[in-house]
Amino acid sequence: MKQFGKIFNFELKGYLKNKVFVGITIFLVIAIAVATFIPNIVALFKSDENKYRPAMLIYSENADLAALVGQYFEAAFTDYEIKISDGSIDDIKEQIVSGEAECAFVLSSASSYTYYVNNLSMYDANVEIANTVLQEVYRVNAMIQNGLTPEQAGEIMAVQIESSTTTLGKDQIQNFFYTYIMIFALYMVILLYGQMVSSNVATEKSSRAMELLITSAKPTNMMFGKVMASCVAGLMQLVAVFGSAVVFYNINKASLSENAIMNAIFNIPVGLLFYMLVFFVLGFLIYAFIYGAVGSTVSKLEDVNTATMPITYLFIIAFMVVVFSMTSGNVDNIAMKICSYIPFISPMAMFTRIAMSTVAWYEIVISIGVLIGSVVGVGILAARIYRVGVLMYGTRPKLGMIIKNVFKKQ
Amino acid sequence: MILELKNIDKSFGDKHVLKGISFAVEGGKAFGLLGRNGAGKTTTIRVLMNVFPANSGEVLLDGEPIDYNKIGIGYLPEERGLYSKKTILDQLVYFAELKGMTRKDAVQAVDYWLNRLGMNECRNKRLDTLSKGNQQKIQLITALTHNPHIVILDEPFSGLDPVNAMLLQEVVKEQIAQGKIVLFSSHQMGYIEEFCDSIAIINAGKVVLHGDLHEIKRNYVRDRLVVNTTHPEQIKADFGDACTQTDNGSLIIKLPDASEKQSTMRKLVENYDIDEVKVFEPSLNDIFVEYAGEQV
Repeated sequence: MKQFGKIFNFELKGYLKNKVFVGITIFLVIAIAVATFIPNIVALFKSDENKYRPAMLIYSENADLAALVGQYFEAAFTDYEIKISDGSIDDIKEQIVSGEAECAFVLSSASSYTYYVNNLSMYDANVEIANTVLQEVYRVNAMIQNGLTPEQAGEIMAVQIESSTTTLGKDQIQNFFYTYIMIFALYMVILLYGQMVSSNVATEKSSRAMELLITSAKPTNMMFGKVMASCVAGLMQLVAVFGSAVVFYNINKASLSENAIMNAIFNIPVGLLFYMLVFFVLGFLIYAFIYGAVGSTVSKLEDVNTATMPITYLFIIAFMVVVFSMTSGNVDNIAMKICSYIPFISPMAMFTRIAMSTVAWYEIVISIGVLIGSVVGVGILAARIYRVGVLMYGTRPKLGMIIKNVFKKQ
Repeated sequence: MILELKNIDKSFGDKHVLKGISFAVEGGKAFGLLGRNGAGKTTTIRVLMNVFPANSGEVLLDGEPIDYNKIGIGYLPEERGLYSKKTILDQLVYFAELKGMTRKDAVQAVDYWLNRLGMNECRNKRLDTLSKGNQQKIQLITALTHNPHIVILDEPFSGLDPVNAMLLQEVVKEQIAQGKIVLFSSHQMGYIEEFCDSIAIINAGKVVLHGDLHEIKRNYVRDRLVVNTTHPEQIKADFGDACTQTDNGSLIIKLPDASEKQSTMRKLVENYDIDEVKVFEPSLNDIFVEYAGEQV
């Protein structure tokens, strides 16, 4: 145990002193800071722009219609300064081309108009807004003409439908984003750290530091110390990144509150964070052990990528199954149910089901139980592969040979 | 302290690597484990260090099975290598801690050894900034910091310049003087002859020669004479195939029987212009070539 502690400390310190590790963490924190502060920064520039509003011209041969539409447009186009034009159409065109006005609505009747604009922007929604406003004007006018008072017509137009949705299970619109982010974080961290554990072991072997290590420490301690240290380093990085995201979100809460996606992401139930932690740790360990064991079978650092490819593929397939199920909206399909109990896939599959659907408690217990058992089993197996693998130099041993040596009574 | 390996047998798959290895090493004396490449030296050392168990046989210390939790072993592997990107202090302390030392004791011991080997200024440097010879010294420190009972040095002198080699010799002599069991494995026979009181030669997984080095040399068949002369031609012509000339000009005369030694020497002195004639003393190299060169 003491030896495990020493190895754990040494390896963890190695991660925390690693410039790449520190660099990536700082980069992610800065990226999140930029993303959360952007609405405030944009608002800062916007406040200056508010002083200037481009002009929108309204023209109709019927002056009453122009005045009435102008009134409605004042309310609908707050970004524009609405001006009733009394010149000719040519004057209007000239004003637009010269930049004096940005656009113009030339009404031939209450239900038909021509929209003039110099350069039509991709995001120009003025026509859609005008259509809605003009439809309203037309209906109100029609109601008045049919004997209703303007107040009555106004009430009819302003009628509001009250509705509410009560979600008895999970709200997939709400939880899709944070589930996706968590699954993606799990995916990235496992791949990144798995490779790191693998390279770490392969480096020790290729630099022959292993000659000394293997005679100084028990392989089980070596393997568990390395994997646990990388797990804690990964967790620390996640906490730093997500923790700073929560802090930045709270600082900018006022300006971000209108952003539905942001709100959906940051309204994670605390219970789910607990499951995230459980599945992260177990999922991380099971893959890191395998990555470590594979790292011990290669003699050269260059061979690590080729050797770890099968595990990486397995992991990518697991990720795909989960993501496709998420986007299809049916996270309780039969594939996901089966995957919830397969150790290498269950950390992502079961977590997604818990987050986005309703899962019975005993299903969760069985899934976590199977996973814990598998982590212990894979850990012991990995330590045995490590013990055999680290002393094998030269051509990478075949899988059959490793298995034969691992299960051979020594 | 006496370390004994008794009938150690070890196979990897179908490969029978060690075939009943037995030898004993006494504390306060240096022991040389010799053999050609692939003879089984490293496997013997690994079994001795409990990296993997033997299929059969025993490793005994003072007649009892060795307790690896109590007995410290220091090892300088033939294949050198440490963490190239970490500082000297960090990794030396780490290896000492793995051997069971507390951090405080480890730092103290590391400082002592850095000082002893004149490496103080390297304390906080990264390993890959040091010269090969200095890296070698750092590696030696990993074998000695925890004050082990048994010191195993595999090719300790390779890559060292004469000054560093002398420093290492002093350190090894100190370890021997402290009563430790010092086991050498080397192909540099000169060093083995200088340090080792006893040797074992392993060939194809078997001990082919084992015992006190002086005894071995004394018991070596004394049937050759070394002759130094300024006129070797006549002797070469008279002795024919039995006489060969070495690179340094000396003549070696192989006798049909060791008992003819005295009479042949007399004959040589009386009949030829001889500067010196003596019985040929085999070097360890000669013994090694004779024993390890066979049966391969």
